Amino acid sequence: MTPKNVPENWQEAYARMAQECQSPALRRFYEAGVPGLDKPLAETPLVSLDIETTGLDPSKDDVISIGLVDFNLELIRLSSARYWLAKPHGPLTSESVTIHEITHSEIQDAPRLSSFLDEVLDAIAGKIVVVHCAAIERPFLFEAALEHYGEPLMFPVLDTMGIEASITHKPWWQRFGRQPSLRLDACRQRYNLPRYRAHQALMDAVSCAELFQAQASHHLNKEHPTSYYDC
Amino acid sequence: MDVELSEILDTLCEYAPFADLKDEPILQEMVKDIEIQYLRVGEWAIAPEARNDNLFFIRSGAIETKNKSGKLLRRMHEGDVFGSSSLLRGGRSSHTMRALEDSLLYRIPARWFIQFYSEFDSFSDFFELSKEVRLKTAMDNQSSDLSLMTCPVHSLLRRPPITANHDVDIKTAANIMSNERVSSLLITENDSLVGILTDRDLRNRVVAKGLPLDVRVDMIMTQDPITVDAGDFASEAVLKMMATNIHHLPVVKNERPVGVISTGDLVQRESHGSVYVISDIFKQEDVEGLVQISKKMDHVFTQLVNADANTQMIGNAMSHIGVAFVKRLLQLAEREFGPAPIPYCFLALGSQAREEQTISTDQDNALILHDSYDKNLHGDYFRELSEYVCQNLDRCGYPLCTGDIMAMNPRWRIPLSEWKKTFAEWIEKPKAEALLHVSIFFDLRGIYGDKTLARQLNSHIRQLAKTNKGFLSALARNANQRTPPLGFFRQFVLDGEGKQSRTFNLKSRGIAPIADLVRVHALALGSSKLNTFERLEDIEEAGVMPDGRARDLILALEMIGMVRIKNQMNQIENGDTPNNNVDPETLSEFERRHLRDAFNIVSRQQEFLKYRYPGKG
Repeated sequence: MTPKNVPENWQEAYARMAQECQSPALRRFYEAGVPGLDKPLAETPLVSLDIETTGLDPSKDDVISIGLVDFNLELIRLSSARYWLAKPHGPLTSESVTIHEITHSEIQDAPRLSSFLDEVLDAIAGKIVVVHCAAIERPFLFEAALEHYGEPLMFPVLDTMGIEASITHKPWWQRFGRQPSLRLDACRQRYNLPRYRAHQALMDAVSCAELFQAQASHHLNKEHPTSYYDC
Repeated sequence: MDVELSEILDTLCEYAPFADLKDEPILQEMVKDIEIQYLRVGEWAIAPEARNDNLFFIRSGAIETKNKSGKLLRRMHEGDVFGSSSLLRGGRSSHTMRALEDSLLYRIPARWFIQFYSEFDSFSDFFELSKEVRLKTAMDNQSSDLSLMTCPVHSLLRRPPITANHDVDIKTAANIMSNERVSSLLITENDSLVGILTDRDLRNRVVAKGLPLDVRVDMIMTQDPITVDAGDFASEAVLKMMATNIHHLPVVKNERPVGVISTGDLVQRESHGSVYVISDIFKQEDVEGLVQISKKMDHVFTQLVNADANTQMIGNAMSHIGVAFVKRLLQLAEREFGPAPIPYCFLALGSQAREEQTISTDQDNALILHDSYDKNLHGDYFRELSEYVCQNLDRCGYPLCTGDIMAMNPRWRIPLSEWKKTFAEWIEKPKAEALLHVSIFFDLRGIYGDKTLARQLNSHIRQLAKTNKGFLSALARNANQRTPPLGFFRQFVLDGEGKQSRTFNLKSRGIAPIADLVRVHALALGSSKLNTFERLEDIEEAGVMPDGRARDLILALEMIGMVRIKNQMNQIENGDTPNNNVDPETLSEFERRHLRDAFNIVSRQQEFLKYRYPGKG
């Protein structure tokens, strides 16, 4: 399943999955549904999620850390922040170690993703997931669920990268020089947000939540139903 | 698994009051409780009438504080905290907080603030000290709401700016000015301000010179004029106009002109324009006229204080006025005795050199002569000139220096090479006792004549002083001679309501000790700054003092200075001659407590000085 290939109607899809799923955690997840999708954006409970991986290919590479934090358009609650390290199946390359500032020993002592995947699902259940670049987070979690539960995990996503692309998009005849960068840090600078050290899953999740608040405040209509912006 | 929010923790720990709690594990617990809030410009952090249950930390952006009547109190930026005063009052907020820019705030729930406030002295001190600095605002609120100076510059603007492109000719420019009935025209290039043209320029640079009217306006405009930012306080505009003696000040926002304020705009708000004092001084044709102006100085001073200027601004303004008297007297003297036969430079010393004068300061000055000085040929001229200036300064309210440190003392009226020798003597063979009497010479500013002479002398001093440990330690020892009146305070506090007639001197026991100890660090650094606040900024940057200590001293100086200024203003209002003595009984409990804290800061820094510049003695 690619990110493009998502259900037309999420509420129906969740209801169907809740019927079909065998694993209790996934069933709980689907039963919680996505009530926020039909509410105005301002009233929707959101959860910002970021994962760090050993590479870009969900079929070969592994998740090594997950960070998430609950928020809404007004506040990001650090008390809800969660952070997990996961021991990958394959060896960790030295490049990814430097990118993520995670050491070998930390990783070697970490549990497998499968041992806490239930907790991750419970933490995002009933909320709308916000990520920067849906093309990473969704397929990796999809693969992880398939491997662990033997059943698919899918959910609607608000993608700050996609939103930024549509905000900064100009037709080719108005373009001048390079397209604006859509990296998280570059997007944040357009909103006077501070610079953070990148590539730590929890801080990136916080960082993405801040960006979404800023985007919503400047460009989105808080009264529109959330489904208007999801992908 | 541990929550990894070290980035947020690290950021908080870069700033007071959290820096001092860096090693407290409880701070990590607090971070997990933070809520993050993004505010778009114009949105409220604390809305009118709203309760407040958080301490706010500004992670990025800017926030402005206003009181109930909408008066701007403070602008805060990255690293500042706010909300504490309403938390101390159980959540009732008397001020509003609003985003001036898109901002990111960390909200720390009240219970953490309360806990830290009671557990950590450094934490509660921080809020009490910064409260004191805002004291002046509180006091002003009682005295007048009409204060011109707390309003931002843009609130004075009455119309959009009248502008012309830089390539129009003079005639077109003059027509625009006449049609729009303005006395100044802003000149732009690609919408950015590049110059200003005034009525006076048209008179002096065009008509008087007989210039043809098809000359381009950028040939005669004043290029890159002094400007003020739309968000600055109006008092800053006043001081710029006073300091530079200009009457039209362009207001810019992001380099684009948004208007002009003129002395007229300010005077309309203020019944007597202190803005005009400096230009009035230069208009006087005789000493009598200057004496008349000097009688208004009490009034100018009171106005500045009422205008909510801080001590640095007041010191700056009073010094510029003092310098203007000296310059005008020298001009009049040169008119009377003829032009100087050789180059010379008239020096301001001490508080005038540091631009920290207040009302009623003795004169401290000296004179550098060019090395071509010949006593037989030039001696009489400079004796007469300096006697004229010093005696007349005395008549203008700057009493003769009791220590005889004046240009009219032949010992302090010598050629550059002899000055250099004198300083070398002081620095290379330091005798603490002797240095005590001459420390004032180490704050030295050329104010009239050939200022390169003063510059040469200053760089000579800087080079010698920096490397001379014996000198620095002697100076440090001297700086510790005058101590803050801590014991006095302790006793006073114990005595409570008991009758006391004793007073203490805020200058010699508070302000001078700060200036003295800051001078030692500044000389050790080789800083070229003279102003104590500016020296402290250099010191902070160089990291000579432990983190935050330079900032503490700035607060302490501001606080003591403000009490002194308020005290002087009361003396003026009671018809007394203002001085530096304060009767502790006239202080509020609030002032007393914070004055004591400020003196404590001074005392700790004196202690530090001993260790930093150890000597044999």
